[in-house]
Amino acid sequence: MKKKLVSTIFFYLLVTGIALVVLFPFVWMLASSFKTQVDIISWPPKFIFSPTLQNYQKVFGEQDFLKYFFNSTIIGAVSVGLSLVLGLPAAYSISRYAQKKLAVFILLARLMPGISFLMPWYIVFSRLNLMDSYVALILSHMLISLPIVVWIMSTYFSTIPREMEESAMVDGATRQYAFFTIILPLSGPGIITATTLSFIFSWNNFMFSQVLSMEKTKTLPIAVYNFVSYAEVDWGGVMAAAVAIMAPAIVLTMIFQKYVVKGLTMGAVKG
Amino acid sequence: MSNVILKNVVKRFGSVTVVDNLSIEIRDKEFAVLVGSSGCGKTTALRMIAGLEAVTSGEIFIGDTLVNDLEPKDRDIAMVFQNYALYPHMNVRENMGFGLKIRKISKEEIDSRVQEAADILGIHELLDRKPKELSGGQRQRVAVGRAIVRKPKVFLFDEPLSNLDAKLRVAMRAEISKLHRRLGATIIYVTHDQVEAMTMADRIFIMNKGIVQQSGAPMEVYAQPANRFVAGFIGSPAMNFIEATLVSENGVLHVEAGDFRVQTPAAFSSRLESHVGKQIIFGVRPEDISLHDPSANAGEGNTVTARADVVETLGSEIFVHLSQGEHSVVARMEVPEHPLTVGQTLQVDLKMSKTHVFDKETSQAIV
Ligand SMILES: Nc1ncnc2c1ncn2[C@@H]1O[C@H](COP(=O)(O)OP(=O)(O)O)[C@@H](O)[C@H]1O
Ligand SMILES: [Mg+2]
Repeated sequence: MKKKLVSTIFFYLLVTGIALVVLFPFVWMLASSFKTQVDIISWPPKFIFSPTLQNYQKVFGEQDFLKYFFNSTIIGAVSVGLSLVLGLPAAYSISRYAQKKLAVFILLARLMPGISFLMPWYIVFSRLNLMDSYVALILSHMLISLPIVVWIMSTYFSTIPREMEESAMVDGATRQYAFFTIILPLSGPGIITATTLSFIFSWNNFMFSQVLSMEKTKTLPIAVYNFVSYAEVDWGGVMAAAVAIMAPAIVLTMIFQKYVVKGLTMGAVKG
Repeated sequence: MSNVILKNVVKRFGSVTVVDNLSIEIRDKEFAVLVGSSGCGKTTALRMIAGLEAVTSGEIFIGDTLVNDLEPKDRDIAMVFQNYALYPHMNVRENMGFGLKIRKISKEEIDSRVQEAADILGIHELLDRKPKELSGGQRQRVAVGRAIVRKPKVFLFDEPLSNLDAKLRVAMRAEISKLHRRLGATIIYVTHDQVEAMTMADRIFIMNKGIVQQSGAPMEVYAQPANRFVAGFIGSPAMNFIEATLVSENGVLHVEAGDFRVQTPAAFSSRLESHVGKQIIFGVRPEDISLHDPSANAGEGNTVTARADVVETLGSEIFVHLSQGEHSVVARMEVPEHPLTVGQTLQVDLKMSKTHVFDKETSQAIV
């Protein structure tokens, strides 16, 4: 009895501790986004201040924020969409024909530092005159989303008994028809997981967009970075932009929490 | 014609041979049961007939067509899987109509065939439910229904009753037999349960380690098991085996093992003679052991004295576990007038004409 109480107290202490560490920067950021520049840099930090919306006004007004938001959305959505088109059949094939080598090869693309792909891409895309094009950005972001889709979905397909499509095949279906009419309709949860995770990773991507995009296709994280690169750092603007960027990822995660947790615990992704 | 012929069919997974040189012929409209213990390759054999698994070597014919290279959809078969494999996102009606819809059969025709199958199986009120809203027995019916609406040449059943409780299993056994007569189709049915095999089959194929040990009508296999494996597999409780020597005394052959000694019938002599002095395995079924009846069989040398170790009462009959020295056997008897007591010494008669003798080295039946 006593033992149980102690361990319960310990458990909540631990949770509180972890939550503090994880949430502190976030709360700091959120608070700062509503502060004036003076309030932000004042010492000791001000916990009570009169909130202002001027940072947000600046972000959405002065900067072409909506354009960047649109860019991030379109690049994320199209690259995830194309990754599903290519990745779902690939994952099915890996799952049913036990193609371990292919699976590891695809995972390798995910485990290699993204920066090693940048140089070749830079050269290829400049020669093709595709710098600062949606094509280049979408293709590069597929390097993020495709392995996530393949890895999560091949694991997911393996949980569906093979008798499902075999039954359909005996009933008169081709394997392809069985895939579309039997397997895909049963794969909703897996597809939601893969889509949410790969969209968030694409949304948050910095490196590929930084190198391959210029003004036309600039994505949100790059836009935030631009706040920093001026002579004086506009902390309020940075914080407000960061909050605006994080919001969709947080909302998505909260809506699809169950699926995101499942996807992450499949060991399918690195941070 | 919808006979099914397997010629020297072999299936290997890597270096493991799962089905070894299987050659069987299943006749048109026959109810054939492949029976064998778990892991002996039954499902694999069925999957090869369905085309879900390629043969390593050998040939498979369905209705005189070589089907080795045909897709499952082109083999005109229906299969009921062990886990039923109902499509979870479709209701019962859609599950049953799925195969017909693919074959571009008209909506009216699909409806009428689904109705007909639902009539046969008594699942009318389930047609609009999803599989997860069904009990095990209902799912099993739907799986059967999905097979019969297609009117295929050949039905393949993979242990369809193994997920049902004992009572339902008995009922479904009778129902599937009835269905077979009604459809007049060829059925290949796989099970590990020898009772199912005995009660349903026109012909039984007994498999062990990927090899067919014996085939024949149920009673044939029961009465004349070809080897020790079949003898032990068919029948419940299982046949009793005693390792013994065959000895000849004044031209009369005896089975001898320590204190255990019985005289073989004269009818066996010609077949047993060449084994005199050799090690054999003597087999007697529990139902062929009865309490000694002094008025009958006197002096035939078939009476044995033994101790009753355990008495199991089943109501209509009893199982008595008997021992004599190192030997122990089970007897299945009518309930005696005076109850038997544990530890009691009994005299029992063996119905010698029904007993079996196996070569110890080869395990093959001698008689
Ligand atoms: N795809 C496979 N790969 C490797 N071994 C398999 C495969 N399918 C079945 N086996 C093996 O073949 C043997 C027979 O399996 P199965 O035909 O399912 O037996 P049964 O249906 O008689 O229980 C088992 O030992 C099983 O492990
Ligand atoms: Mg099996």
